[in-house]
Parts: sequence; structure tokens; C-alpha cells
Amino acid sequence: MIPLTATVRMRLAEGRSWRIWIPLFVVWLMLLPVALVLFPMMFLLGLLVRVSAFRLYGTVWGTLSSLRNTLVEVENEDVLFRVRIV
Amino acid sequence: MSENRRQILEMLAAGKINADEAERLMAALENGTASAAGNAGGETKAKAKYIHVMVDAENGGKGAKVNIRVPMQLLRSGVRLAGLIPVQAREHVEGAMRKNGFPMDLSAIRPENLEEIVDQLQDLTIDVDDDSSKVKIYTE
Repeated sequence: MIPLTATVRMRLAEGRSWRIWIPLFVVWLMLLPVALVLFPMMFLLGLLVRVSAFRLYGTVWGTLSSLRNTLVEVENEDVLFRVRIV
Repeated sequence: MSENRRQILEMLAAGKINADEAERLMAALENGTASAAGNAGGETKAKAKYIHVMVDAENGGKGAKVNIRVPMQLLRSGVRLAGLIPVQAREHVEGAMRKNGFPMDLSAIRPENLEEIVDQLQDLTIDVDDDSSKVKIYTE
């Protein structure tokens, strides 16, 4: 299952902080037309470089799916930045 | 002779690795077999789900921390992606790696030995500690 949401948290030195919730499922829906164009291109590219296009689709899907529960957090005395993919 | 041993000997014969590296690979293979036998004896270990990279650095009196949690599944996908690198590109990558003193046969990364690679990472813990920074890499 591909990730459906992501949360971004930022905290600045003045104490201000933001928490942004990003609905990734909307992003995926918006990217769907792009994917429809990319799929045949990937198929042709796969033929050119002799890589199975279906294996390629599967691997790209698997990579997207495995992004779930990824966390990146950077913090210093002034700023905190955290991205969490759920 | 096992398939892995044969592969190591073939790499040695082809000059892709030297005798020292072949010896190290053989030893690692034997250790792996021994630990697999130990696990088969009833002692099973929970599979690690994440790999953590934590950096704690001092930069001109200001401390900075980085915490990255990567799912093991993403590593698996990465290894699978590496297996899809076209032959021409793979040769370029291998050439560049060899030039930098890191000879590696990317074609040896196959789905059948993928799990073995990820399993080996489960016992990974790297600690780098110097005056200004600390780096810790571990699995959980």
C-alpha cells in the first residue's frame, strides 16, 4: 500500500511552530494523468534497455509502498524540521 | 561445492577480487552458515524493520542533530532497483566503483540473494565518535 499521508513539522527559534498534514492520496490522484503518460514510455524504455517493463512497474510501486513509516528529522538549537510519511 | 563458494572462486578467477577479499568472503560465508544453523536450532531473532541513522554534530558551538529512520522494505526495493540497472549503465557504474577502489559485481545482486543482503544488515551497528560529532547506525 502506498503512503497516504505525510506530516511536516517545523519549529523556529522564536518558538513558532507549524505542523502541516499533507494528504498524499490527493497528490497520487493528481499525478495519475502523468503516470498514464509515463507507463507507455517506461514500457518502451524497458524494451530499449532490455529490462522487463512489468518488473520495472512492480519495483517502482514497491519502492513507493515501502516509503511508509520513513522519518527524517533535522534539528539544531534554532530550528526543528521533521517529515514523517505514514 | 555451494553456489556461493563457486561464485567467489569465479570472481577470483576473473580477477574481480583478490585472494584476500576472496578469503574474507569465504569466512563471512562460513559464519553466515554457522549462524543460520544456530537459528535453525530453535533460536530465532525478530526481524529488524527499520534502519536508523543518527548524527549528533557540534558546529561552531551550535549543536545539530539528524535522525533518519528508513524502513528495511525500502532497502529491499533499492536493491531490487539496482538489479534493474541496464547492462550498459551497470558497466559504467562498476568501472567507476573499481576506479575508486571498490570492485563490485552489481550483476551478483539477484532476487534470490536479496534477502540474505538485508538479513546481514540486521546485526549492523556502526558507531563513529570523534571530538565534534557522533554517528550511530543501527537496526531495530
